[in-house]
Amino acid sequence: MMRLPAPFGTRIDRARPVTFRFEGRAVQGFAGETIASALAAQGQMMLSRSFKYHRPRGAFGLAGAEANTLVQVGAEPNVQADLRNVAEGLEVSAQNVAGSLAFDRTAAIGLFARFLPVGFYYRTFMGPSRQAWLRFWEPRIRALAGLGRVDPAARFPEGEKGHLHCDLLVVGAGPAGLAAAELAARGGADVVLCDVGPEPGGTMCHTPKGAAGPPEGLRVMTGATCTGWFADNWLSVVQGGMLWRVRAGQVILAVGGIEQPAVFRNNDLPGILSAGAVQRLIRLYGVMPGRRAVVLAGTPEGLDAAEALTAAAIPVAAIVLPRPLPGHEARIAALSAEVISGRIDEADGRGRVARVRVGNRWISCDILAVAVGQAPAWQLPCQAGATLGHDTAAGRFTLRLDRPGVHLAGTVNGYAGHAAAIADGRRAGQAALRALGLPAADEPAAIETAPKDPDAALAFWHQPLAPDPRGKDFVDFDEDLQVADLVNAVAEGYRELELVKRFSTVGMGPSQGRHSALATARIVAEATAREVAEVGVATARPPAMPEALGTLAGHGHTAERRTALHARHLALGADMRPVGAWWRPYLYGAGDRAARIAEEVAAVRGGVGLLDVSTLGKLEVRGPDAGEFLDRLYTMAHGTQPVGRVRYCLMLNEMGAVVDDGVALRLADDRFYVTSTTGAVARVYADMALWNAQWGLRVDVANLTGAFAGLNITGPRARAVLAALPGDIDFSGDAFPYLSGRCGVVAGVPVRAMRIGFTGELSYELHCPASLAPALWDAVMAAGEVRPYGLEASRILRLEKGHILIGQDTDALSSPDELGMAWAVSSKKPFFVGKRSVEMRRRLGVARRLVPLAFPAGTRGLGESCLVLADGVPAGHLTSVALSPTLGHPIALAWVPAGLAMPGTRVTVRARDGAVVTGDVAGHAFYDAGNTRQEVQK
Amino acid sequence: MVFRLLKYGLSRQYPVTGDLPPTPELRAHYDVVIVGGGGHGLACAHHLAKYHGIRSVAVLEKGWLAGGNTARNTTTIRSNYMTMQSIAFYREAVALYGSMSEELDFNVMFSQRGQLTLAHSEATLRAFHLRAETGRHMGIGIEVIGPDEVRARVPELHMDQGGGLEILGGLWHPDGGTARHDAVAWGYAREASRRGVEIHQRTAVTGFAVQGGRVTAVNTDRGTIGAGAVLIACGGMNYDMALRAGVELPIRCFPLQAMVTEPVKPWLHTLVSSVSLHTYLVQSSRGEVVIGGGSDPYQLYSTRSTLDLKEHLAEGAVHLFPFLRGLKVLRQWAGITDMTPDYSPIMGASPLENLWLDCGWGTWGFKATPVAGKRMAECIATGKVPDILAPFALSRFERFDLVNEMGATAASH
Amino acid sequence: MKLLTCPLNGPRNIDEFQYLGPLRPELSKDAPDAAWAVHLFRAENRPGPMVEWWRHTPSNTVFLAERHTVTDTVLRTWLPEPDA
Repeated sequence: MMRLPAPFGTRIDRARPVTFRFEGRAVQGFAGETIASALAAQGQMMLSRSFKYHRPRGAFGLAGAEANTLVQVGAEPNVQADLRNVAEGLEVSAQNVAGSLAFDRTAAIGLFARFLPVGFYYRTFMGPSRQAWLRFWEPRIRALAGLGRVDPAARFPEGEKGHLHCDLLVVGAGPAGLAAAELAARGGADVVLCDVGPEPGGTMCHTPKGAAGPPEGLRVMTGATCTGWFADNWLSVVQGGMLWRVRAGQVILAVGGIEQPAVFRNNDLPGILSAGAVQRLIRLYGVMPGRRAVVLAGTPEGLDAAEALTAAAIPVAAIVLPRPLPGHEARIAALSAEVISGRIDEADGRGRVARVRVGNRWISCDILAVAVGQAPAWQLPCQAGATLGHDTAAGRFTLRLDRPGVHLAGTVNGYAGHAAAIADGRRAGQAALRALGLPAADEPAAIETAPKDPDAALAFWHQPLAPDPRGKDFVDFDEDLQVADLVNAVAEGYRELELVKRFSTVGMGPSQGRHSALATARIVAEATAREVAEVGVATARPPAMPEALGTLAGHGHTAERRTALHARHLALGADMRPVGAWWRPYLYGAGDRAARIAEEVAAVRGGVGLLDVSTLGKLEVRGPDAGEFLDRLYTMAHGTQPVGRVRYCLMLNEMGAVVDDGVALRLADDRFYVTSTTGAVARVYADMALWNAQWGLRVDVANLTGAFAGLNITGPRARAVLAALPGDIDFSGDAFPYLSGRCGVVAGVPVRAMRIGFTGELSYELHCPASLAPALWDAVMAAGEVRPYGLEASRILRLEKGHILIGQDTDALSSPDELGMAWAVSSKKPFFVGKRSVEMRRRLGVARRLVPLAFPAGTRGLGESCLVLADGVPAGHLTSVALSPTLGHPIALAWVPAGLAMPGTRVTVRARDGAVVTGDVAGHAFYDAGNTRQEVQK
Repeated sequence: MVFRLLKYGLSRQYPVTGDLPPTPELRAHYDVVIVGGGGHGLACAHHLAKYHGIRSVAVLEKGWLAGGNTARNTTTIRSNYMTMQSIAFYREAVALYGSMSEELDFNVMFSQRGQLTLAHSEATLRAFHLRAETGRHMGIGIEVIGPDEVRARVPELHMDQGGGLEILGGLWHPDGGTARHDAVAWGYAREASRRGVEIHQRTAVTGFAVQGGRVTAVNTDRGTIGAGAVLIACGGMNYDMALRAGVELPIRCFPLQAMVTEPVKPWLHTLVSSVSLHTYLVQSSRGEVVIGGGSDPYQLYSTRSTLDLKEHLAEGAVHLFPFLRGLKVLRQWAGITDMTPDYSPIMGASPLENLWLDCGWGTWGFKATPVAGKRMAECIATGKVPDILAPFALSRFERFDLVNEMGATAASH
Repeated sequence: MKLLTCPLNGPRNIDEFQYLGPLRPELSKDAPDAAWAVHLFRAENRPGPMVEWWRHTPSNTVFLAERHTVTDTVLRTWLPEPDA
């Protein structure tokens, strides 16, 4: 057991032990600690196997910055063991191992490492046959790839989403962030402070630099990771399973630094930890990292680690100093450890570090604490537009951010010392207040604009990065890339940083370069004789930390739209199907579908049917220029349309393509009621607004699609049924002729009634306020003989009349001439949208036509999209097709070459099964070509 | 083949193959100047050098090699288009991908695992049937399959039976697949430069000298060069570049975003795409799941990422595969797509006698890399546009002779 | 997400808006067919400031914006003066 007594372990609750399983063995930890720390308390440092060579790996930084700590937790892959807290009953196991973590058979790959240079897979796996990659090599490589495992049977809770607004968002509650947030709050700003840790403090939590009391006067979010900065200070903060979208007036990024690894042979052995990780284990989790330590103190942080180890009574066998640390001599002396000048040249051990070599000398140890310096956490700043520079003298990255509204503070801004970080935080807080127009919290004199930072000089050790001739000196732990790999990539000609990245995959693993980007930039700069700043790092992209798809998706509800008659349809046993967001009845009742549809068609043709058309677009166009407006938008003449008349309306776009159709009822000189197809109304409504923004006509459009419902009553008995209902509309043939409209009351419901075509029978469409539709429906149904019918029957009825369906029989370019609808295009109007293109396209020649096709009874295998063939070559296709129950044979609308469009022409079609059949071009309508039934007067 | 790797283990010094030569000095004149060092330009250079004996070629890339859309696409390769002209074209691309690793002696990892496009509506099924009928006529592998076969092919799919997005069927295209986009560029670059083609990275074309209906010189930020012929093939910057030569292209640029997850063990063995959800997923050979969708809604020359689109993609992915809720997104990025009015490319001649166009690649460019390179090389070498490219001429717009790959709805832009 | 300022409603999240495309110049009625076809398909696509139509969906307000198509900075938004 490697547990330390209190007061070590500030985050663990010793009163609440937690038992979980790792690799099948029971492990006991405490509430409040992470999986990695609980395992470390058992002496288990190895957590994973590396991606390529399957080398034993453990945490280096213990700060969620590496793939070494990724474990499988139940059905959840790639869990960061150094961030995930233990919970009772968790099943934790290693990923991507053949066998077990301890005995991974795939580690044998390591024996062949020297045959697998950088980019080796581009040079081989191509043969012997062309299929070799797909059939043999790729499946094997795929099987080796990937870390954790997804479980298709797994159920995860849906994520939640929320919004936050604030004057100032401070990301990072370390010394700088706390100072900035508190100052701004005192200045009257509405501040939100977020931090990934379970409590504010940042590095102060695990160093004895001074505790902070809880900040006051502001909102604090803990366990909250800011993953992205987006335009206009819109940021994503992930807290547990919740995605917060934050809109901040000002943003301060006090996101700190990322401890960098030392690069030497076998630097990836478990037990090699950053100085911060050592302190976190000891102070936060009360865990002894090991029993005998060596400290590489390239920076004074190494001495912090040595002091923590000493406080935990862990002997420090040696402090290795690559360079003197002026000003810290007393501390070094006080540590009573052997001080060795030099650097770590190699580590050795099986599954855990057992000894390290400085020069010729091996020193045994089971922990190596590494302090070589930090890289500023550049991810969020660079997302916000910061540019990464390099201070060659100091050997470290710098960040410069010029975007108004976003500020850097603290370590990320280049301040290494604690006091300097706090001072910089105050500066940033004051700058944010100024930008918000709030009075300064403190006297300007009390704010250091460029804090002095005596610690800066020693903050980074420019470690040598020459490749070890025997290799295994890892620059990128995630991708198992050694120094030589990067050097060789450059030698192959991949000299640009992005090309090095893509060819070698450096920085492409889960840690996205946190531990490798700095060393990579230096190595590539050296190899290409350029400055580090010129080489740079790969573009920083959101998310700054991985985000679960469930968190991003939230509930992901799909909107459903139902008509006011939905319950009526369900009660009648309708087969409801989605049409876009709407649910519509396809047919009613159970049993043989074709038979029921045929019955519905027959009921309409022989009696009376009822169709819910509430999803239709409904637009009210009103104003003195309403008629002129419709004249310009549609192809027919509406300006001269008499009040009380209904006219078909056809809408084109500027290319002369048909985009919508419907009917327009003129209610008054300055008022039209216009219908539009279900699918196009939203677009039509927007287009109307756009056109009128340019024309400036005195007109207003209201979209009543959802407000009104629509019932279509159609069939030879339709008039009789409606006339029998109480109301003030005279439905008689003389009073209510074809293509007219009446407003009044039917069965107590105010309606706009229109007499139209489409089905080929006597047909009325009643539109009423949606809430009253059920009452109207019930009144109509009470007649007893009315048969509700659905979309399937409706399509057949329309097809029997040769009517087009927008979006099915039309496409993105189909013109009225091609569709056989030249009759709907006014030749007199000086202008309408699409007129110019229609005329131009007419002059260019109409190459194809949409024609009705009639097939012999019994023709089989016809379906929508079946090809029309001319000389064996595809020359068109069927757009709509059905077996007409009325006529007893299949009918269709089809695109054919213009030369085959004459009625009577025989057309060849390839059926679904490949058989070739023929049909004949019919006249406009298959049924009642003279329209006598729908226009009947009596 | 694996024996190639022996030399790496048996040599003391790393045996350099030398894929990409360093950028040389610019010469005064080249027979062919290719503006844009992406997949298309490099493929064209390769074909010019290998098959037409034209080696005095300079490929000018303003950034790092193939760092534009070639580096950013989601690697889909397919030929399941609507028009016969398009199918003929992309079918040739699929065939060329099939032999590309051999041709370039560079493993581009062409993984022909098929593409399954899902239909959640009858309208989509109808459109699928049209693609299947036309595609079968053109001899490509394509068929409409029912929900049972969809489920058999991808058992992990959420079929949403009875729901608003119920899967009614799918379009199965076994010819479809993916390839490693960077490797395609590097393979072409290496082969081309072996034959004397010069690749100039960090060389921006700033303009052209035009006289008498010809380009007489190409101005770059490293000097001015003479050119016998010029090809514009620079992806998102095609409109701007053509304008500098006085040629207006009917192209509008929109960002197209994508994202990738952390790597997991293989579970998705084909490319799955949903029209209604505007989402598609494919799992790479690294184990990462690449997720893409529709273009951004407004014109922009930027590769910035947005949170909104990432949320939409996540919703789509999680709807199709609910168990992916536990999988984490690692990175998002974007490319700049040069969109044409009919969603078909603009290839072939320009109003200038020696200026050739390989433009308008929108969201369909990577899959065409080898055929565009091959056929544009033919144009340049012979001075004539081959029949397979004729439908994609710039002049088709003024003749209103579009190659309509838009589908049932007019382009919303 | 990005903010766009509706001239009537003030700054709103951009998902409240619908992009209606660039402001396009008119073409004279006498232009020949080829010119009309070119005009139909002409793209306004220069990198730089562009004037374009937007619509605020909840209020159906159609307005013009000048936006830089590379930096995505919205320079100004205003209600159009119609030319009836």
